[in-house]
Amino acid sequence: MSAMLELSDVEVRYGRLVALRGLSLEVHKGEVVCLIGPNGAGKSTAMAAIAGGVPRVAGSIRLNGQELPARKPEQIARLGLSLVPEGRHVFGTLTVEENLRVGGFLRGNARESAAALERVAGYFPRLKERWTSPAGRLSGGEQQMLSIGRALMTNPRLVMVDEPSLGLAPLIVDAVYEILLELREREGLTLLINEQSSHRILRFADRIYVIRNGTIQLHGTAEALRDGEAIKAAYFGFKGTGANANVVEGAKA
Amino acid sequence: MINFLQNLIDALSLGSLYALVALGIGLLFGILRLVNFAHGDFITIGAYSLILPSASVTATMVIGSWHWEALIPMVCVIVIIVAMATDILVFRPLRRSSAPTLMIASFAVSYMIQNGVLMIYGARPKAVNLWSALTTQINFYGLREPVLQLVTIATTIVLMVGLSLFLKRSRWGIQMRAAAEDFRMAQYLGVRGNFVIGLAFAVSGILAAAVSLLFLAQTGALSNVMGVPLALFAFVAVVVGGMGSLPGAVVGGFLVGIVTTMLQAYLPPDLRVFRDAFTFTFVIIVLLVRPAGLIPSRSIVERV
Ligand SMILES: Nc1ncnc2c1ncn2[C@@H]1O[C@H](COP(=O)(O)OP(=O)(O)OP(=O)(O)O)[C@@H](O)[C@H]1O
Ligand SMILES: [Mg+2]
Repeated sequence: MSAMLELSDVEVRYGRLVALRGLSLEVHKGEVVCLIGPNGAGKSTAMAAIAGGVPRVAGSIRLNGQELPARKPEQIARLGLSLVPEGRHVFGTLTVEENLRVGGFLRGNARESAAALERVAGYFPRLKERWTSPAGRLSGGEQQMLSIGRALMTNPRLVMVDEPSLGLAPLIVDAVYEILLELREREGLTLLINEQSSHRILRFADRIYVIRNGTIQLHGTAEALRDGEAIKAAYFGFKGTGANANVVEGAKA
Repeated sequence: MINFLQNLIDALSLGSLYALVALGIGLLFGILRLVNFAHGDFITIGAYSLILPSASVTATMVIGSWHWEALIPMVCVIVIIVAMATDILVFRPLRRSSAPTLMIASFAVSYMIQNGVLMIYGARPKAVNLWSALTTQINFYGLREPVLQLVTIATTIVLMVGLSLFLKRSRWGIQMRAAAEDFRMAQYLGVRGNFVIGLAFAVSGILAAAVSLLFLAQTGALSNVMGVPLALFAFVAVVVGGMGSLPGAVVGGFLVGIVTTMLQAYLPPDLRVFRDAFTFTFVIIVLLVRPAGLIPSRSIVERV
């Protein structure tokens, strides 16, 4: 089976800093794939490279077998790939409704985007209540929902969510994941999710990649990695398992 | 009392011109982080577009002699083309440059336009008579005001309401505001960045064209640097109002216009030559009290 999204040997630099060094990963249609890694591992950079936000110096990124243009985020959005960035990035002075509508304009067809607005509102009753408030006034959880809803407005096939749990209370995080899984069921979405820790992810993901220092250290099905020891080792960057996992080499990164 | 009202209308009229210029500068700043000093020179071009291009001392009206219903759209089209061409030729290649680089580039454009006009039209200022009917005074309970002042204020109100409806209601306006707040995020959602920026230049062109005509009708004189003081005062207005905030640009524009006119009217005669020094002192005081301007833009506060 060929992958929906395929990265091979992607390299990204910020000036002299190499943020991704030969990153390769695949996401298949209908999967929930999770990328986990410590601070500075390159998770957000990987998503930005896929979405066309940062240039890559080497490697290829394909969607359904087609090479994605580098640095053309507005074109990539039209190919059915949508990003929910780290820190949500809602348009704070625009209302909830306007935020969502921004996501719908690429459809071109006004009737279609009105229908999408209706449907998205249906998934997020809480947003419906705050419809005309500036998005900047929403709580963190509401902003995360808005950011996801806004991504949905672009009619994506693949949604990338960068650290959905960032800064949210555990109960809210559960709600966010529930809605993501519901969207996967009902909208037939494929999901790529970044997280810093694996403990919740193992329940939701089909497959997991562990990234550190800009490369994939480990990957496998959530099933196979269930006990967490292999993940810990890859995450912190030593071969041994278990016992001295809190000698945190990864903290330097 | 009558005297004061008359001064107030003059102040509002000058303030509206500054507000229109400030809106044009503020709009581009909001989206691009560009402080476009060439905006004043767009105004110059709008004014010169009325006459035959020649170095002769007397101006020969061409477009300027058209009926206003044809004249206004034509001048708008010309200034829009200049504004959008500036974007495509100068600012688009500099998209990823820093704000100071963009500002310096705008100075370069400004000088190029000023010297281009100098080359084509000659160095001497030219007298031009645009819409002289508007300078007739109307008498309203002893209040004597040229119609032009009222037309200026009314035009400004119409343009401000129009711009605000455009930004609030239209799909392009909403995308423009989204891009102004978080350009990269807007692109991730499929907003076409270059198109939205081009559109912002076009809107700033319309605002500049309006100022060209109103200002020229008032002063009756063309000069290759006529737009410079307008851009300078409007820039001050943008800073006073709060960089990146459009309501701030309007408030700042009116404030600077009102302060200038009132100082002109009420300063003792020997001090009037120092009017602008007083205006700028006032500006400095405002900025000491409110460093981010009167109506700070939230999006910028969040960005920093
Ligand atoms: N815009 C940038 N300019 C320069 N360096 C950057 C930029 N963005 C990221 N980096 C660097 O690239 C590396 C990878 O960063 P990235 O944000 O992708 O990590 P991450 O895995 O998302 O981390 P976190 O879990 O903290 O979000 C880091 O060393 C970071 O400092
Ligand atoms: Mg990150």
